[in-house]
Amino acid sequence: MKTTVRTFIAVAVLASSTQLFGASFAVSSRVVREFPVDPAGSVWIDNPFGSIDVIGGDGTVISVTADRTLTAPDTMTLKEASDAVALSFEGDTKVRLIRTLLPPMRNVRWAVAVNYVVRVPRGVNVKIGGSKSAEHIRVANVNGSVTINGFSGVVMLEGVVGASVVNMVNGRIIYDYTQKPVARAQVQAVNADIDMWLPANSNFEWVANTINGDMLSTFNVKAGRFNGSVFHGAVGSGGTTISTESMMGHVAILVKGSNLNDAQSIRNNDPAHPAGPGDVLRQPAKKIQMPFVTGDFVFAASVADVVVGEVRGNARVETGAGEVELGAVFGQCNVTSLGGPLNLGDIMGSLFAHTGAGDIIVRAARMGGQVTTDGGLIRVIYAGGPMTLRSGGGDIIVRQFSAFMDAETSSGDVTLTADPGQKTIKATARTLQGNIVLNVSPRFAADIDATILTSDPDVNEMHIDFNGISVRREQVGNKTRIRATGKINGGGEHVELYAEDGDIHITAQNITPLRLANPK
Amino acid sequence: MPDCDSMRENMPLLLTESLDPALRELTHQHIETCSMCVAEWSAYKETWQILDTLPELDVPARVKQRFLAEVSPAVVTPNVIPFRRRLAPRWLAQAAAVVIIAGGAFYGGHRLTPRVELTPTPAQITAIQQAAPAAPFYSIAESRVLPAASISPQIEGRPDIQNVQFTDASPSNNQIGVSFDITSHVTVTGRPTDKSMVRLLRYVLENEDKQSPSRSRAIDWVRSTYAHVGNPDPEITEALANVLRNDDNQGVRIKAADTLQSLQSTMTDGTRDALVEALKNDPNPAVRIKAVEALAKLARSGGNLDPDMVDTLRRKASQGDENVYVRVKAAEALSSIQPR
Repeated sequence: MKTTVRTFIAVAVLASSTQLFGASFAVSSRVVREFPVDPAGSVWIDNPFGSIDVIGGDGTVISVTADRTLTAPDTMTLKEASDAVALSFEGDTKVRLIRTLLPPMRNVRWAVAVNYVVRVPRGVNVKIGGSKSAEHIRVANVNGSVTINGFSGVVMLEGVVGASVVNMVNGRIIYDYTQKPVARAQVQAVNADIDMWLPANSNFEWVANTINGDMLSTFNVKAGRFNGSVFHGAVGSGGTTISTESMMGHVAILVKGSNLNDAQSIRNNDPAHPAGPGDVLRQPAKKIQMPFVTGDFVFAASVADVVVGEVRGNARVETGAGEVELGAVFGQCNVTSLGGPLNLGDIMGSLFAHTGAGDIIVRAARMGGQVTTDGGLIRVIYAGGPMTLRSGGGDIIVRQFSAFMDAETSSGDVTLTADPGQKTIKATARTLQGNIVLNVSPRFAADIDATILTSDPDVNEMHIDFNGISVRREQVGNKTRIRATGKINGGGEHVELYAEDGDIHITAQNITPLRLANPK
Repeated sequence: MPDCDSMRENMPLLLTESLDPALRELTHQHIETCSMCVAEWSAYKETWQILDTLPELDVPARVKQRFLAEVSPAVVTPNVIPFRRRLAPRWLAQAAAVVIIAGGAFYGGHRLTPRVELTPTPAQITAIQQAAPAAPFYSIAESRVLPAASISPQIEGRPDIQNVQFTDASPSNNQIGVSFDITSHVTVTGRPTDKSMVRLLRYVLENEDKQSPSRSRAIDWVRSTYAHVGNPDPEITEALANVLRNDDNQGVRIKAADTLQSLQSTMTDGTRDALVEALKNDPNPAVRIKAVEALAKLARSGGNLDPDMVDTLRRKASQGDENVYVRVKAAEALSSIQPR
């Protein structure tokens, strides 16, 4: 029995000491202040961490209640925090400035949250800024203008009559109109959903924009039109403009009393809409991953990551942004992206691939085709048919081409390797800033026309591993043109190479031919 | 392998530049392709260099006679390099004599028998290292002035020497000068984390003449090498950051940004700032994509963020005329940031 009691006491002491060591220290304090302010004056609140409530009412006085909570792992750090955090009340009756002051470089071991409740005359203008993290920022019953700029948290506006500008990164924005909108509202977020409730008899112009989310409404939106991802429409007879834009979240305008589940998407395809560039951005965002598609694969989405192992028919993929990866396509392949890398495997039909930005990798283009990027690297392992490759800036590398090759980049190196099994192949390569390397077998035959235009002829050189080439140098303005022409191995197809401020190498080497497996 | 045996017989003559050109070329080619002979050749060269650093001493006549009596006359070739004469304590002379005997036996043994294992004993090697002065660092320099005494009398291979000039600044001091450009191929070996190796790579990345194929190759090589090194030297990432900032070739800049993404563990403030700068201003959307992806990865890992980075991401996410993919990636990066 004695042993049991001793053990129990020991465990209790141990447990309590563990609690003690793991605990954090916290201290809270409240500050209450009142200041006179003009009925049409301004109140600026700058609070990096903590919630803010601004509530409009009658009178000519601002009443501020600030609850400051500091947490730290020990009393010493807590004391440091207490000394470092200050509340500042400045300004005059025209502009009142309420700020939480933190040192620019602070110890990350302590944290602070200051929750403000500020009661203001209804007519003042409110500006809230500098918020990094807030549980919520709420502005209610204010007739003046409202500006909110923060990073994360839930923003709630209720009964705001004046013009409003809200700019957030993460969180959610809820805007509740208690009367018909009469002033412009501009609500913008990166990753937040935006929900607005308005009276049923409201009249306004609605501008909506989202890339990854949806545009939803329980209003009857008229005269809608898209310009890329931006929608313009009217509710009622139109009037003031309400602009809602969220990059990754949804934007919704809802009749008061309705809810989000009743809302209709306005991004659905309109048959009457004439096709135009950027239409794909009207498509909802999707993610797709499947091992194979038995027939044709047709896919379009605004933001999409597409991974398909095998398409046994034709493939047609169109995305606004995202990564596209197709393992094998038995038929024709047409992939267009406004931005994002394309990774294409064994393409047995003709290939058309374009991205607005990003690298393109093609394992095999058996029938050839066209591959273009506005900026990024292009790497083709095997080109069995005629190919056109274009990059707005980036290297182009072809491991083996067996038919006409046309490669051009505005800045970057071009490296092409000819099929050693072909005696001669027509090829064109061009870079406006970079080098060209053409690897061919020693018995490769061609009519060579290679030109370097350089401002530094001592640095940029022509290296050709074949005899029978004559090289000429001439001055063109302040640049030097080095041109090599001639027939190698008796001549053959035309090979035209052009490099500005770079080298040209035509190397003769024993190349191991690539062997492609036949599809099953 | 019989070929190896005959080649090893040639090594001493190769060492003293006494082989005829055809045989020399053949032997060099064999050494380059045979791993066993490479090791053998390295041991030869190492021993030869150690012997070269020893102080020159007079060997007592009776020791010399006994040594010559023990070895074949064929061993004594006319092109043995004489040791330099220096003053040294007596014990040093004794230690060196022991080493010379061992080295001579080693040399002679290889000349007489087709396959003989190297036989320097550990104790003797230790004595050499203690007696010899520390080897000076090999300096990779644009130009240097060297006293003739610091140059080995042996010229290895056939280095390309051009632009030769002869100087005699002061005829009264009996000193002449020969200056020249020399092209020699240097292979530096070491661990990826060795400071010398890091500095060399940094130089290649930042300052190599505008030959971007080799610069691209250098970046590829840095990525494949340092992605596996737990904590690569920050100088590597700083060099890549400089390439990202300054290189005219967009393909090279794309690779630099891409490689920085894979070397997150040593990202410095300067590196991060280079990525932010690229995201803001680089005209190539692919560079901006790589930059925003690297910054997104940094944000996800809770790395060192600063207001400018967050502000840039925010502006990029909202910038209507920016590429949609860049905007999406910026938004993703922002979603993972927890303000502190």
